[in-house]
Amino acid sequence: MRAATSPAPARILLADDHALVRRGVRLILDQEPDLTVVAEASDGAEAVDRVRDTEIDLVILDIAMPRMTGLQAAREIGRRTARGEPPKVLMLSMHDNEQYFFESLKAGACGYVLKSVADEDLVSACRAALRGEAFVYPGAMGALVRDYLDRMRRGERVPETVLTEREDQVLKLIAEGSSSREIARALTISIKTVERHRANILAKLGMRDRTQLTRYAIRAGLIEP
Amino acid sequence: MRLYWRVLVINGAVLTAATLALVVAPVSVSRHPVVSEAAVLGFGLFLMVVTNALLLRSSLAPLDRVVREMASVDPQRPGRRLKPPDSGPGRDLVLGFNAMVDRLEEERSMSNAKQLAAQEAERHRIARELHDDIGQQLTVVLLGLKQAEQRAPAELADELAALRESTRDGLDDVRRVARQLRPGVLDDLGLASALASLTHDFAEHSSASVRRVVAPGLPPLSSDTELVVYRVAQEALTNAARHAGASAVELSLTKVGDRVVLEVADDGRGFDVRRDGAGLRGMRERARLAAGDLTVTSSPVGTTVRLEVPA
Repeated sequence: MRAATSPAPARILLADDHALVRRGVRLILDQEPDLTVVAEASDGAEAVDRVRDTEIDLVILDIAMPRMTGLQAAREIGRRTARGEPPKVLMLSMHDNEQYFFESLKAGACGYVLKSVADEDLVSACRAALRGEAFVYPGAMGALVRDYLDRMRRGERVPETVLTEREDQVLKLIAEGSSSREIARALTISIKTVERHRANILAKLGMRDRTQLTRYAIRAGLIEP
Repeated sequence: MRLYWRVLVINGAVLTAATLALVVAPVSVSRHPVVSEAAVLGFGLFLMVVTNALLLRSSLAPLDRVVREMASVDPQRPGRRLKPPDSGPGRDLVLGFNAMVDRLEEERSMSNAKQLAAQEAERHRIARELHDDIGQQLTVVLLGLKQAEQRAPAELADELAALRESTRDGLDDVRRVARQLRPGVLDDLGLASALASLTHDFAEHSSASVRRVVAPGLPPLSSDTELVVYRVAQEALTNAARHAGASAVELSLTKVGDRVVLEVADDGRGFDVRRDGAGLRGMRERARLAAGDLTVTSSPVGTTVRLEVPA
């Protein structure tokens, strides 16, 4: 467990304009021994203020908020480096669209979690973010992997990779648009194992963190620079 | 010459000719007309009627032709106009008729554009409500069920897990419908991202390859204009995939002078641009909303849709 390596739980700021959503997310996070919600905000501007006056390790931002959107707040928070490292940022969103994911990366977030899978993904996304790794949401994972396979087929130079047989199977299933759950069922392995394969694949393709991912997405033309 | 004067002149000329003939000709009518005199009068009258009929007919025939042609102008297929004759009473009629058709088509297209704008506004409102209200409520339920599941007795766990999956499906449906109604990415991230997302979806659901070129440093467009550009691109891509059987499509957004130009070119089998289909008409009406120009060129080796809008 992560908590063993860092005894104090990670301090989280939660920003969402819907109080009941905040409460639901908070209950899920506070159950984990290594995570604790220390502050809440109901819009982007308030989130920026909280970051300024509270010690925070991770900010979870809803994309659609009044006054200042989650993306604007993420940019603002990334800029506040006066007190050292800015906190890690994770976006929480209704939109199942890879453009929001890439835009979030550009704004400085290291992950993107869909609200419709928040009950499953949020905790592992928080842990990945705290480790400094990117949490790629499945829709964008498909786009990235498909583009990678296209380039390989066209004989373009791609990072030299040695995927294990299992990782190769997972890669193909991701490209076909399967969810982690479906992949787990197809290969009769646990969802956790699928997630680990996913993380390994990304690392081997040179897309471990948000900087590498953003660079790749721009080069591949998935987003505008 | 006005129709009234023309008829008057013809009738007057015939009557004058008859009167002169009576005066000049060596004929007279007795107090009790005899058969021969009646025959001459009858012949004269017959001559007058025939002359009048011939003259009026040649003068009015163009009008009949114009009336027949008017029936062939179909409001469902705008753009057709009658060719005015060089002279004669038909000319004014055709010119007047054409001007009226112009006004009608203008009016019709304006009201279609207004209707489109109203429809977009309504879609926007519904999509926002789906996202902000129903979507959030379902998220609360989803997270709550997860909590309940962890604390519930074992015999309820399966039931709760099934409910959670249903809630997730509901949330996915709400999101899908909202996205179909209004591309949220356009409002939140702008036109370039929305076009990227559009071509990405297109590539995912079609066998054709798509290339997207968005020039850097484009001037900002109003949100209404951006929506027009987006919808025209969407329609053009749909046509390329559905009707043209294209294998490659290129979408570009560039700047020409102070105008922004969207071009969607495919290598499909093309179509007859004179046959104004519903898709093409829709694009034209949207272009009008943004005071833009839409040109469509098509040949058997491909179609290009080009939209120019003022920045």
